[in-house]
Amino acid sequence: MDYFIIDYNVEGQNTLALEDSIMQKGRPITAGSKMLDNFIAPINATVVDKLSNEYKIAGKTVMDEFGIPSFFSGESDEISGAIKAVVDNAVSFSLCNDVFGKYRKQAADNKLCYIHPTYGTVSRYGLVPVASSMDQIGIVCKDMREGFKLLSLIAGNDEKDGAMFSEKSYSYDNNEQDLTLAIPDSVIRMADKNVQDAIGDFAKNFKTTSLDLEHFNVYKQVMYILSCAEISNNISRYDGVNFGYRTSNYTNIDELYTNSRTEGFGYHAKLTAIMGTMVLTENNYKTYYDKAMKLRRLIKDGVSFEGYDIIVLPCDIGKDPYDNLSLYSLANLAGLPSVSFSYKGQGIQLIANVRKESSLLTAWEVCMK
Amino acid sequence: MKYEVVMGLEVHVELSTNSKLFCACSSKFGAEPNENVCPACLGMPGMPAVTNKRAIELGIAAGLVTNSEITKTISFDKKNYFYPDLPTGYQVTQLFAPICKNGWVEIETEKGKKKITLSQIHIEADAGKLVHDNRTDTSLIDYNRASVPLIEIVSNPDFRSAEEVVAYLEKLRQLLSFANVSDCKMQEGSMRCDVNISVMEKGATEYGVRTEIKNMNSLKAIAAAINYEAQRQIDALETASEELVQETRRWDDSKGQTFSMRQKEDATDYRYFPNTELMPISIEDKWIEEVRANLPEAAHDRFLRLTEKLGLSEYDSNIITGSKNLSDIFDKTMEYFSKPKEVANWIIVELLSIAKGDNKGEDDVKIDCKKFAKLMELVDSKVINRNVGKDLLSLVLTEDIDPEKYVEENKLGMISDTDMIDKVVQEVLVEFSKSVEEYKEGNQKVFGFLVGQTMRKLGGKANPQLINSLLKKHLS
Repeated sequence: MDYFIIDYNVEGQNTLALEDSIMQKGRPITAGSKMLDNFIAPINATVVDKLSNEYKIAGKTVMDEFGIPSFFSGESDEISGAIKAVVDNAVSFSLCNDVFGKYRKQAADNKLCYIHPTYGTVSRYGLVPVASSMDQIGIVCKDMREGFKLLSLIAGNDEKDGAMFSEKSYSYDNNEQDLTLAIPDSVIRMADKNVQDAIGDFAKNFKTTSLDLEHFNVYKQVMYILSCAEISNNISRYDGVNFGYRTSNYTNIDELYTNSRTEGFGYHAKLTAIMGTMVLTENNYKTYYDKAMKLRRLIKDGVSFEGYDIIVLPCDIGKDPYDNLSLYSLANLAGLPSVSFSYKGQGIQLIANVRKESSLLTAWEVCMK
Repeated sequence: MKYEVVMGLEVHVELSTNSKLFCACSSKFGAEPNENVCPACLGMPGMPAVTNKRAIELGIAAGLVTNSEITKTISFDKKNYFYPDLPTGYQVTQLFAPICKNGWVEIETEKGKKKITLSQIHIEADAGKLVHDNRTDTSLIDYNRASVPLIEIVSNPDFRSAEEVVAYLEKLRQLLSFANVSDCKMQEGSMRCDVNISVMEKGATEYGVRTEIKNMNSLKAIAAAINYEAQRQIDALETASEELVQETRRWDDSKGQTFSMRQKEDATDYRYFPNTELMPISIEDKWIEEVRANLPEAAHDRFLRLTEKLGLSEYDSNIITGSKNLSDIFDKTMEYFSKPKEVANWIIVELLSIAKGDNKGEDDVKIDCKKFAKLMELVDSKVINRNVGKDLLSLVLTEDIDPEKYVEENKLGMISDTDMIDKVVQEVLVEFSKSVEEYKEGNQKVFGFLVGQTMRKLGGKANPQLINSLLKKHLS
């Protein structure tokens, strides 16, 4: 498959691919949607500005429409452009926004690393939003250390993003001692035997404690409800009025809205918009959205990081990608940093407390020696 | 009267911030269409919202002057609906944790004083403006107003007459404009009001069917709309000519009637939910006290200062402190020329009459206070006479002249040379001997005519007191 939607034909060291949701001023940006077919980015994303001195942008990678995974409607996923570009050595890194775990899983599947930073540490100025409370630009890389070097360049407060920590910069050092790993046994037992063995082997390098992820059985539902709500709201700006795709077939404002959206949105975007709209209607708000928000709070409070530094999870617990969504929801729902990578041929995900990326790097290095 | 009118008000006031609620665009009124826009307020993706702190401060100030409780932790929510003037497809507002609650405002009508209670004040972003071009039958959108910060002040159904509503709006305008929260100009849309109105039989405990009236852009229109709508509802109850339904009605000023816009049954489901792009903001007591300490002097305090300390009449003080703009002009001019009665007089008599001639209200007059003070000083120190002073005032307003220089260059200095004036007085008495006779026969009015003629011959620049006394001397 072609991983680039735009190829700038740049080669050499320190090359970078951007998921086509990250803006470069004056260049087209589609976020995978016909809705933005004719749209030219009006600004540079902050991450683009921050990297421009040391990295060359080689291209924009193809993506799911507005980041909505096809497994939302029961279809299987193809390999993402951002992953394939690194696998094929077209670039050293890809930057992307992984809300549903697709990139985290595929990175581990393809023996790459994925760094998902703490929510609010990397600016989202210039990132086409998916689900605002869960959006976070992450890094696909081959070597975790190189990935963290890149992360240290893009992380830090940006006054153009109103939901960030105040720290101006972060350094990610391997300086954490005596890390304790929390093992959610009941979750790990859902994975294949090989994965369980790999995790067991990995954990031997650390002190361990067992952890009960109390609401794990509803993670994916909470994630689904909240993300559909936020996506339906975020894509409501694509109405054909003042930018983006507009139908040529209209005689009044209602037709302009309806036909632009009918023609401009793909199947998954429409489905997600409908689901999100449904959970936010007055009649359903308490049953779905409000309840999911309360659960989100419980899920967040359920991981205290008292007595442990890192939670270890598999990257795959079943054939259905929707089941796997549960594995990736914790980091996004609670705004936690995570890394995923391949260990002894099996995908492993590590999650740390907010702004504790350094312990993730340390743990990875301990085992990769 | 058998019926009682019950009303509650939703008043929208644009906050006088320099920039918009979530981006750095100017929020000033009167720019060219779509001059004050950026990707963020045009609703383009990838523009995270950053809250304008000044808007929160003005929200706190609004709470303080309306005796409201200030919420400790505020948050913003999204209200979803589609309209072409709303570029994001949702409006940012406050549903769950509005900035102020449980305030009150005291109003005064002929019937006496009354407390109007407020259920809440919340901050929200304004939408753009649709303009229909009839020549081409197209709708044009001006996004200058999109994302300009507003507060909505929601009252309880405490109003029982149009007079109370008007008194409340005037009071709000005074409170908020003196606190620099907003300039509150209805004609520019920086203050807008929706009226929820129902009628019930006197003494009834249950309210009648309520309608909401929109689209009034002056106090006069609001009073007229209320009176029309109340009568329509009473007629409907009395004659059963139509069934009252809960609905939104639009006031048509030219027809003097309200018209049904939409019924609440098929009202939009706004799908409110928390705005996760913005962190909740905590408002510490320290912040509230800072805002309180920086509140400008309130209208009532200014009134007391004018009457008690500066010795102005209540009448004059009322006019000056009735408008933030006039009151500021007064204070500023006093810094350069500190005779309060003179300054008040020049503002009320001269400045306002010129403004009126130009069709400007008290809030719209603009003048260079230093020059204004200078010309008063020139009159006061008898360098020029008062009439020349009035002419200069017009010129300061229209051509921004420097009064002192202008007097010098155009030789407008007052003529106080007694011999010279006496000579002219004698000429006038000869020339208008008929009038002199009339005067001597007892027609006092002729005196003014003779003063005028003398002044005219002296190019309008003579000392009027000298003319008076010389004329009197010759005529007696």
